[in-house]
Amino acid sequence: MSSAPRPFSGEAAAHAARAARLPLSPERLEIVGPTVELVYALIDLMDPVRLGETPPATAFDPRWSR
Amino acid sequence: MEPYALSLGAAAAEIAARRLSPVELVDSVLRRIDATEGAINAFACVTADLARAAARRAEEEIAGGRHRGPLHGIPLGVKDLCDTAGVPTTSSSKVREGNVPDRDSVVVEHLLAAGMVMVGKTHTHEFAYGAITPTTRNPWDVRRIPGGSSGGSAAALAAGTCMVGVGTDTGGSIRIPAALCGTVGLKPTYGRSSKRGIAPLSWSLDHVGPLARNVRDCALVLNAIAGADPLDPSTLHAPVPDHTAGLDGGIAGLRVGVPVNHFFDHVSDDVAAAVRGAASVLEGLGARLQEVTIPHADAMMAAGWAIILPEASAYHQEALRERGDLYAPDVRLFLEAGELVLATDYLRALRVRTLIQQGWAEMFADIDVLIAPTVPLAAPVVGTAMIPWPGGVTEDITQALVRLTLPANLTGLPSLSLAVGFDAGGLPLGMQVIGRPLDEATVLRVGQAYECASDTVGRLAPL
Repeated sequence: MSSAPRPFSGEAAAHAARAARLPLSPERLEIVGPTVELVYALIDLMDPVRLGETPPATAFDPRWSR
Repeated sequence: MEPYALSLGAAAAEIAARRLSPVELVDSVLRRIDATEGAINAFACVTADLARAAARRAEEEIAGGRHRGPLHGIPLGVKDLCDTAGVPTTSSSKVREGNVPDRDSVVVEHLLAAGMVMVGKTHTHEFAYGAITPTTRNPWDVRRIPGGSSGGSAAALAAGTCMVGVGTDTGGSIRIPAALCGTVGLKPTYGRSSKRGIAPLSWSLDHVGPLARNVRDCALVLNAIAGADPLDPSTLHAPVPDHTAGLDGGIAGLRVGVPVNHFFDHVSDDVAAAVRGAASVLEGLGARLQEVTIPHADAMMAAGWAIILPEASAYHQEALRERGDLYAPDVRLFLEAGELVLATDYLRALRVRTLIQQGWAEMFADIDVLIAPTVPLAAPVVGTAMIPWPGGVTEDITQALVRLTLPANLTGLPSLSLAVGFDAGGLPLGMQVIGRPLDEATVLRVGQAYECASDTVGRLAPL
């Protein structure tokens, strides 16, 4: 998996916010964009972890009566 | 000693012996609230009239021979995240201003059924989304934060304005304020207690549990709130032991893990010394210390935030769009950023969580509990944004405060925080004891052994 940083500013941030149907003013985008970049950088610390066939730790319980 | 200064256990013994009435006790606590709230602002609202009426009922019941047990007549503070019938529940947020639930959250239901007397709703960092609790001050030094998000409960306990505080813990929100305010806080196993009626922050990481003045008090409260709830699918169907039963059984031969990585990185000298000193105390009581390496340490914070951010944003999705300007700036920013985390990153974090869980299970093959600092420093001054560490490294305060507690949320393991020392300025320093799934009994036993061998647990702040 590529470990390239994920830039998230300007039109990229505006596009993502539109895709999320999250109305963000240009002023908000200037604050949110860099924060999301920090979040992505943090998330990317998981890059070295090899996951292979590891399933997610979900909590769904298919029983109908609990 | 004024009644408010008693621990739960001590007050319960006085009540059982009819030397103290719940009315006297609650009046003492309400006077203490009047005396201290101006300085610490631990409560979102004080329910004095309801408390006096409940105390009178408790007094009548006990006088009539209907003593419900050790929690009967004991003053309780409830985190404002938890629904309380007929009492405002705002999550310390303008978004929920005026919200008055028509029924109690399950945890409150259990505690009131046990006879506890709610004296008020305690402040939380807005929607539990932060580790500061900016509304509230630390009773040990009102220039400092109490920690969060259950900062109101911890501050109230340390100030003597309740004997039990209900807290919730998604990344450390019971244990962080417990450590910074010098109280005991227990995050039980994930699913040990029902979260129904509590505003969620992150469904898969949220826990509810007690803060109290000592370990036995936490055990008594856990007895009352533990158990499966058919309407909360996250709760575990598992037997609930009497957590006070083996509390004084000692720790001879117990294998206590001491981490060689992660938990002592970027930790103040005071905290490190206090926790290592506590480890020596445990060793002196017969425990066997065992060095262990924490698996996947570098991925834990990443996985935690990659889960919390999108789960929180999902819960607040409608309100953020309709009333976004009502959120505090820090919470609004977290919620907006969480909207933009990719689903594949979220699922990657859930898969990493599986590996972390497996790694911790293997680590626990050699130990019975793990001990570690709860937070890397004593309570910071209000307004601190970055924590400086040696080597020119700085760390965002929220990251610093949750760095050592988040692992027990990711793994869902029970974790108890208790005071194991004080710094030169008299501020409390916390240690956490992390145990195997559903083994709160051992975690509490270790805490009790330490408490009995030391004088650091159970102090009220000199306010």
